Parts: sequence; structure tokens; C-alpha cells
Amino acid sequence: MNERIIPWQPTVIAGPKQAMLVTPETAKMMLKKAKRPLFVIGPLVTGDPIMKLTMDISEHWDLPIVTTGDAYKTFGDRGIKTTRYGVVEIVNLLKDPDWKGIKGEGQHDLVMFIGCIYYIASQGLSTLKHFAPHLKTLTICKFFHSNADASFPNMNDDEWLKYLEKMKSD
Amino acid sequence: MIIVAPKDFKEDFWKSKDIKISIGDIVQDEVSGESGEPVEMGPTPKPHVTDLREWDMKLMERYEPFYAPFCDMCCLCTYGKCDLTAGKKGACGIDIKAQQARMVLLACCIGAAAHSAHARHLLEHLIEKKGNDFPIDLGMNIDIEAPIIRTLIGKAPKTLGDLREAMDYMEEQNLHLLSACHTGQEGSSVDFESKALHAGLMDNLGKEIGDIAQIVALDMPKGDENAPLVEMGMGTVDRDKPIVLCIGHNVSSGAGVIDYVEEEGLEDNVEVCGICCAAIDITRYNQHAKVIGPISKQLKFIRSGVADVIVVDEQCIRTDVLEEAKNNQAKVIATTDKMCLGLPNLTDEDADKIVAQLINNQIEGALILNSDKVGEVATKVAMQIADDRGMLKLLPDMDEIQELAKECTECGWCTRVCPNSIPIMEAVMGASEGDFSKMEALYDNDVCYTCGRCEQECERDIPIMSMMAKIGENKLKEQRFNMRAGRGPIQDVEIRKVGAPIVLGDIPGVIAFVGCTNYPEGAQDVAKMAKEFLERNYIVVTSGCGAMTIGEYRDEEGNTLYEKYSGDFDAKGLVNVGSCVSNAHIPGACIKIANIFAKKPLEGNFEEISDYILNRVGACGVAWGAYSQKAAAIATGVNRWGIPVVLGPHGTKYRRLYLGRTDKEETWQLNDMRTGNVVNGEPAPEHLLYAAENREEATVEIAKLCIRPNDTSKGRQLKLNHYIDLHKKYFGTIPEDVYKFVRVQKDIPITYKKDVMDILEEKGWEPRAIPQEPSIRDFKEEPKKKANGK
Repeated sequence: MNERIIPWQPTVIAGPKQAMLVTPETAKMMLKKAKRPLFVIGPLVTGDPIMKLTMDISEHWDLPIVTTGDAYKTFGDRGIKTTRYGVVEIVNLLKDPDWKGIKGEGQHDLVMFIGCIYYIASQGLSTLKHFAPHLKTLTICKFFHSNADASFPNMNDDEWLKYLEKMKSD
Repeated sequence: MIIVAPKDFKEDFWKSKDIKISIGDIVQDEVSGESGEPVEMGPTPKPHVTDLREWDMKLMERYEPFYAPFCDMCCLCTYGKCDLTAGKKGACGIDIKAQQARMVLLACCIGAAAHSAHARHLLEHLIEKKGNDFPIDLGMNIDIEAPIIRTLIGKAPKTLGDLREAMDYMEEQNLHLLSACHTGQEGSSVDFESKALHAGLMDNLGKEIGDIAQIVALDMPKGDENAPLVEMGMGTVDRDKPIVLCIGHNVSSGAGVIDYVEEEGLEDNVEVCGICCAAIDITRYNQHAKVIGPISKQLKFIRSGVADVIVVDEQCIRTDVLEEAKNNQAKVIATTDKMCLGLPNLTDEDADKIVAQLINNQIEGALILNSDKVGEVATKVAMQIADDRGMLKLLPDMDEIQELAKECTECGWCTRVCPNSIPIMEAVMGASEGDFSKMEALYDNDVCYTCGRCEQECERDIPIMSMMAKIGENKLKEQRFNMRAGRGPIQDVEIRKVGAPIVLGDIPGVIAFVGCTNYPEGAQDVAKMAKEFLERNYIVVTSGCGAMTIGEYRDEEGNTLYEKYSGDFDAKGLVNVGSCVSNAHIPGACIKIANIFAKKPLEGNFEEISDYILNRVGACGVAWGAYSQKAAAIATGVNRWGIPVVLGPHGTKYRRLYLGRTDKEETWQLNDMRTGNVVNGEPAPEHLLYAAENREEATVEIAKLCIRPNDTSKGRQLKLNHYIDLHKKYFGTIPEDVYKFVRVQKDIPITYKKDVMDILEEKGWEPRAIPQEPSIRDFKEEPKKKANGK
């Protein structure tokens, strides 16, 4: 089996429905197609170059940011305004089709994740897989997330940085 | 014999005469509380599975179950596996929500059964030793000695024999609950949840029975705030002596070892130590026993080969303990029906014959279901094999570690299969170059809790856990800590002292660190959280592996938190109640606050007591490393009492949380039972079962979850001050949701007045009524009006 699409922690495999492996090009197509995308950033995003890349990606695609764990402070210290939620709280809101979204404009239709702790992210993605048919999930961590709708593969830092660089442009 | 035909009475005779007949039991006037006056039985004595369903539904209206399926399928029957994704139902008709709730119920039933079977074994064992009529006497300062039993069963147990009634009830309930997990029964997720809550409650009951029985019969500390400090850590055992290690939870076999050692006057010749709750309870029984540490120490210590005899009882023991012991020629004695390990049952064999068979390697180990015999055999075997085993070389030396590490192919799978993906591969690679610092960093502070999955995965069979154990041997001198012996229940006199400050909010909260060692980033996180709240005048309660973990931390001055803080149930108190079963005293303290401080009758009065706790007692549980089904049952049980719990990130694997929604204001409305008004409340507590991603998030959440609608303005100021303070510390800002918790301007902490006022203005805040008697229960009559309805 292609090791790039075995879940990073292999035992999170939940069943027959697996994420689609995506390249930056496909991920960008998903962002282009989305009407109300959201960017969820976890506490593993702590320093450059990843922070800078995530900020650039957010800016380029005009993505509102939700930070989980203590990432709110990490980004706040860099002057980046985000909305803070626990990862289980934001997932709980995202699964509700009637939630009005971060900006109060309506529920999101695409949620892109990066930097959440792998196994809790996997659980949250499982929630959304089962209970949020109204939105798609995309993960751009360096780990394959089988519970997402679409995920980057497992890769090393160099390749990952190249993937993220590509995400900064159309 | 004269047979008298029963007289026919009118249908209402029994009712009109208020006569009660019980076969086998003598029904006495029940008394409750301190007054000794008869009390009226509440509406739900011995509640059956569905009797508290209405309360559960009220909880779930506010705290809707949040499911994170761990598996997309059901594989419990032969129709399956059934794929439950995309709204599909299984062959039996079950959907993914109900299936998750069913698995939660199953976990809670397993957890409740583990604690309660443990309690049943202890109870019968102790009745056999001490007699049916052995009194339940917890000393002068504890009159409300069994708050959970009183509330659920409706009467106070006076003797060990009396505990059987509660035990019988619990066992029956758990049987019904487990039955509901069978294919083709319950189909509703919320009803599965209601049953899970009942299973959690039964777990609480079973634990109380077990701990009360062992406290009174084995003369453990009875709510003693000055319980002694006991030695803890791998460096505390004298490796030159024969060593008996007890692992598990049931004190009976460990007590058997201690009794034998004492009877034979061998205290100076044999070391008796323990891992996990067995360690806590043997030190409650005899303070000369030593605590190695929490469950995370298990494989490290067994691999070190220090223990000559390993006595296992039940729960949380490595199931490959026999294989591990054989590798270093230690002997295993299994002691309960829960864990027989395929060993011959030698319970009725002569002790010396068993000893001979073990030391001559005629048997791999022995199953001995008699604690006195366990004590004799374990001690004799340890004394006879210790010298020879001392000559064994059990672990690789550092040069060998380096050579073994050179086998690493850098495939990285050790890291991938690690539950926390810690950098094992980098540590092994470092060791291959003679740099052991990375491996030491993983050893320290239990960042690696030695589950051993990396070793199972390694394609070159590198003995990573043995390497880890060797690294630990080099640091033995540092591994000497202490822990206050488990004190058992909270005294009534302490409740009288702190009841008002807790309910009114002057003591900002009671925080309980409980549970196992599946920590996401090492053990120090628990101690750091405990320290943070101790410094802020909270009452910190702890038990089990959490209590041991806290003792392994030393502050800047080199003191453990147990040395620094008293064992009082008071502000700045660090209260170790004891082992897993002692957890019962934590909801027990909350129940006693309702009874002693607020004079709420307990008997058959579960809903009123829980409603009181939910709305007025600022208590919060923290199970940072919860891994077991017992932990699932513990948390679910205290949730039903109205106590919120914060889990670590691994807690999401339990599949279900109970989360509130602050944006749904209608769910926070309260009934003011004093005025009859419906009032707008605040999200307090905001969640009932929450999982945080890291310590920083958890710390802020814990402070918030101590807020209660009943807080006085002074108390609310204090609680908000801590919440804001911690939010600033870990998130850098004043929390934007602070306005939700400000009812009137007097609630605003003075230190943050300007900042908070700015937020209030921005949010268009307006003052609202403070309920005098907040409740989520229905009014007995129709409500008068809606006050300040917004």
C-alpha cells in the first residue's frame, strides 16, 4: 500500500470511507469553489516558516481563522486576529447546519485544518464526516488524515513546505 | 408447627396503616443528617434504569451529546460488519449516533462492573474476616459516612453486612444496563446516554461501597487531613532486599503480603511496593509499603527486573505481565478471578509446596485466591530467589544500547504507532551515536509512558522499552518523591467550614485531578495544573494515578506539592482521597455540601441533590490522562451528579462528550425556585464533558467551569478574576465571552474593571436578575412570569 496514504497514526482507520489524497492544485480548486471557507489552525503551528505560510495562505484566500488549543496566543502575539475555540467546540458548531458561521453570514461549506494534534483532529474530522454533510473538510498538515474528505499525504518537511508555498497563490 | 391462614384485609389496609414488611431485612426508621431526626424518603429510592431519565433528558437538552465516532462500523453481531457512514443504518436498524452511545454505555458498564466487582470481592472478603456486623465507623468527624448510598439506597449502612443491599442493587442495575447493549434492543442515542449516565452512577455507588468497606475493616485513614507522607518513586526501594511488587487495584492480596511480613517480623528484610492503585491502598493500609508510581511505570519497572515476585490482582495490569516476568525470572502470582493468566489454581495447595514449585520453575506462576496464602507464598519466594536473581544481568548496558540502536533503519514507524507520536526514532538514532539525551528526555516526566507499541512495531526488534528502563536506572537517585497517603472521605466538619464559601463562590472552586496516565505531553502537566490552582486558593482534590503523578513533581525549591500544601479540604488544600474507588468521596463531598450546608435531605432525593450541585457547587473534575473504561464510567457518573469534567485530548476517543452551546441562549434559562420566575442564566457550567487539546486550554476551561449561577457577586468577581487572569496568561487577552458571566456590575473584578466594561459596552450588555435558587428542574406549579426576559 502507498505509505503516503496510510493514516499517519495507522490505527485511526475507521472504516471503508477514506479521504481523497489531494495535491495543492486540487486543494486550491476546493478553496476556489467554496463560498464560505474557514481555516482552523491548531497549537502545533508555533513558528516560522509554518506560521508565516499559514498567515499568507489565509490572507491570499481571505480565510477567517479559528485557532484551537493555545494557538490564539501564538497568532495574537504576531498581531493576527483570530477567533478562539476549543477544537471540539468549533467542530460542534460546524456540524450544526443552522449555525451562522464565524462571521454570522451562514454555515461554512469548506473547513481547512492545519496544526491540530493528530488524534484529536482525527476524531473531530470523524464527527464532521458523519454529521456534517453540508460541508467538506480538507487537511493540509504533513500527515494523511483518513477521516477528512480530502487530505495532503504523509510527507517530510521539505515537501510539505513546498506544498504550502503552492497554496499561497491561485 | 401451627399454620395460621392469613387474614384477608381490605385492599387499602396496608396503605392506611402505613405498615411496611420486608423479608430478610428489618425496616427501621431512617435518620439523616446531623439532627438524627427521621426524614421523609424522597421520590427515587433505588432508582431503576428509567427512574432518573427525566433528569438525564434535562441535562442533555443543555449539554447535547457530541459524537466523534472512533469506528465507522458496528462489528458486534454476525450480520456485520455494518457500515454506518453517510446516514446508513446497520442490519439491525441502528444508526451511527445510537451505535456510539451504545459503545459508551458498554464502556460505562465495563467500568462500573470493574469497580463494583472489586467492591463485591472486598466486601465479602472483609465480611469473612471481620464479620457481618462489623460497624461502619468513620470516626467522630464523619456522620454522613456514605452520601451516595444514602441518596440512592435511601438509608445509611451501619455494618459491613448492610453494604450488601447497595451492592445487590448495583449489580442488578448493571445487569439491566448491559442487557440494553444487546443487538436489537435500545435504538435511541439519548436513551443509550441515559443508561450510560445510570451506569456511571452505579459505578460511583460501587466505588463508595468498596472504599468504605476497606477503610473501616482495614483501618485505613478515616478522613485524616494529616495522613502521613509516604515514599514514592523507583529510587525508593532497596534493591538489595527481596522485593514483592503488587500491581492493580484490590488491596486484599497486598494486605496479605504486608500481614505476613509483619507477622514474621520481616519488615526490615523485605520490600513491599506497588504500582497503580494497589500502591495507594497498600500505603493506606501500612505506611511502610512504598509506591513505585502510577500505571505509566509498569513496563519500565518490570523490565528493570527489580521485583522478585509480582502479585497481580485486577484492573489496569499489563496482560503480558507473565511473559515479561518470565523474561527476567521473576515470579507471578495471580490473585483474583478477574485475571488468572492461564496459571494453575493452587489456592488449596500447601503454601510451601507452591513455593517449591515456583522456585524450581515447575510452574510459570500460580493462581492463589486466598490473600493470606498469597502473602506467605510471595514473601517466601521473594526471599528465596532474590539473591540468585541479583546476579542476573537483566538490562543491556549503555554500550549494548548503542549497538542495538545502530540496528535502526529509520523507518519511523515507532513514532507513528506511538499514541502521542513522540520522537522515538530520533531518540534511538541519538543513542546509536552515543547521545542518550533524547531518550532521557522521553524517559523523564513519563513523556514515554512505556505502552510498548513502538517495540511491537520495530522491524529490527530493537528492545526500546528495555533501553528506556536502563536509562531510568541511571537516574534512580532522582526518582524519590512522596505522596500524602489517601485519606478517604471529607469530614463533615470540613464541609461545614467550606460549604458556604464554595456555594457562594468565595472559594473559587474544587478541582479534582483523577484518572490514568495517558497524558499527551508528559506527567508534569497535571502537577502544573494542580499547582496553578493551589496557588489561586482553589481546593485541589486528587486520587489514583493523578495523585501519584502530582507527587512526582518538585517545585523550584525541590518540594513536592504534598510537602508544600496541607491535606485539608480547604482553600489551598491538596487532598488525596486515595485510590480509584476513593473517587466516590469527590462527588460525595459535593453531596455532603448539599446536605450539611443546605440541609437538603439525601434519601431517595437524587435529582434535587444533583440539581443543587450543578447550579451551586463550583466543582470540576479533570481526567487528563483518562484511558480506561473505568475512567469513562467515573466521568459519566459525576456528570450525572452535575459535575463537569475536562478530559485530555485522548478523551475524544471515548466517542462522546457533553457540550453546551453558548449561542443558544434559551438553553441557559433557569427556574428560580425561590421566586417562581424563569430567569436568563449564563453558560455555567458551559460544558459537562469537555476535551481540551493542551494544558493551556484545559487550565482556562477549568477555571471557567467552576462558575455557577448561584455565585454571590463577591464570589463571581473572584471566579471571573481567575478566569480572566488565566485567559490573559495563556491566550493573551481578556476573554470576549466574559460579558455572559456578568449579571450585575458588582460581578466585575476590580482589577479588570475597565477592560470588562469596554467589552460590556461593545456587546450591548444589560444587567439581569441573579436567581436566588437556580434550578433546571421544573417548577412544582406553573411559573409566575419571566423576569428580565431577553
